[in-house]
Amino acid sequence: MARWGMVIDLDRCTACQACVVACQVENNVPPTGADQAELGRSISWLRLAPHGEAEHGTRPQMHLMPVPCMHCDNPPCTKVCPVQATQIGEEGLVGQIYARCIGCRYCTTACPYTVREFNWKQPDFPEPMEQGLSPDVSIRPKGVVEKCTFCHHRLQVARDRAQLEDRPLAEGDYVPACVESCPAAAMTFGDLEDPNSEVSRLKQSQRAFQLLEELGTEPKVTYLSKGEWGGQV
Amino acid sequence: MPRCAGAPIMPDERIEKGQAPTGPSTGEPAGVVASAAIGFLVFLLLTTGLLTVGSGGSSSRPVDQPVEFNHRLHVEDVGLECNECHEFAESESFSGLPTAETCAFCHEEAQGNSPEEAKLVALLSGGQPLEWGRLYRQPAHVYYAHSQHVSVAGLECERCHAGLAASSRPPRRVRKLTMDDCIDCHEDGDAESDCTTCHR
Repeated sequence: MARWGMVIDLDRCTACQACVVACQVENNVPPTGADQAELGRSISWLRLAPHGEAEHGTRPQMHLMPVPCMHCDNPPCTKVCPVQATQIGEEGLVGQIYARCIGCRYCTTACPYTVREFNWKQPDFPEPMEQGLSPDVSIRPKGVVEKCTFCHHRLQVARDRAQLEDRPLAEGDYVPACVESCPAAAMTFGDLEDPNSEVSRLKQSQRAFQLLEELGTEPKVTYLSKGEWGGQV
Repeated sequence: MPRCAGAPIMPDERIEKGQAPTGPSTGEPAGVVASAAIGFLVFLLLTTGLLTVGSGGSSSRPVDQPVEFNHRLHVEDVGLECNECHEFAESESFSGLPTAETCAFCHEEAQGNSPEEAKLVALLSGGQPLEWGRLYRQPAHVYYAHSQHVSVAGLECERCHAGLAASSRPPRRVRKLTMDDCIDCHEDGDAESDCTTCHR
C-alpha cells in the first residue's frame, strides 16, 4: 500500500507561485473577490507563507515557503470532525467529503498549518472562467470546508489506467498539479513506502525538516533547506 | 482502517424519508387516517415532483429521446452486446452513446415496419447527430469509471442497469444513483471503500 508524500526544496524554490496558480486552476478554487479577501476569506489550497524579518533600512531576510495540506499521518483535523467528513485514507491521503461537511469549522481550528478554508459564499466563476473548470473536481457549495487533496482525482484516474493496463502504478503516474507546474523542480511527489522513490531518498537529506514537527502531527510534506530556518520553523 | 460509515443524507433522501406518516393515531377511524396519509403522500409528490424507484431516485422531468429505442429487440432478438453501441464502457470512464454512424451500420434503410425505425431512418438521412437523453446520473462529487467496473472488476452491465436490456422503450425519467447504490458492493466485495476512492 502506497503512502503519498511530498518534498519541497526551499533552496530551489524561487517563490514564483506557479504552484499556487496551478492549484487554483486544477481544483476549481473560486476567486472570492476583493471584498471577501479584505475579510480574510479568500480561498487558497496552497499558499506561500512568508517567514523572516524585513526591517526598514536593512536587507530583508525573507523566505517564502509553499504550504499545502500536510496530509498528516496523525491528523488533528479528522479527530475533531463530528460527522466524519474528513478522514485519513488507507494511502495516507486526508480526504474531505463536501456532501457530508456541516461547516462547523472545528477542523479549520484544529489544523496547526491553517490550510483549511471555509466557503463563506456560493462560489462564483465569472465569465469566461466557468469554461475552464475542471470536470474532474467537484465545485464546493457554500458552507463547507475545503482543502488541498494532493489532487487525489489524479490518483483515481492514474490508478484506473494502471489497473486497466494490468500493471502496478509507476512513479510519476500520479503527480499533483503544483508539483507538475514547478519550473524550478523544487517539488517532488511520490510513495514514501517505496525506499527507492525520489521522495524517500530526498527525505533522508541532512537538509530535511518538517513544519511544526514537534506537534507530533507527522506531516507527509517534508521541506529541504540548508538555511538557518532548517528544522526550527 | 477508516470506512465510510453509512450514506450521508442527501437533499433528495431527506424528502423521501420524511414522506410516510407511520401507523394510525388513536381514536381516529382508519379510513380517515388512510386517506389523510394518501393525501399527504400525493401532496408531497406534487410539491416535490419526486417519484422514487428502488433505492435511488428519479427526477421529475421526462427525458426526451430522438427515438424510442427498443433495447429488448436489439439485445435479445438480434443478439447485440451492450458494448457494440456503448463502445467505451471497457476503456473509459464513460460508456458512450451510439452515434448516427453506429446506427447507420444497420439502419441506413429500414429493416422492419416500426414507426420508430422510420423516424430513425429519416433522422439519419437528414445527417443530424442523434441527441440521446442521459438516463443515469450521479452527483457531481462522485468519481466513477465504467472501465474500472466493467474491465477490471468484471461486473455485468445488469448489476447497475437492471432491466434496461429487457425494456422495449427507454425509461421516462433519469435514474439518479446514490451512495446506497454503490456502498453495498463496495463494503462486502473486494472494492475499496475509502472515501477518496469515489469522492472528489
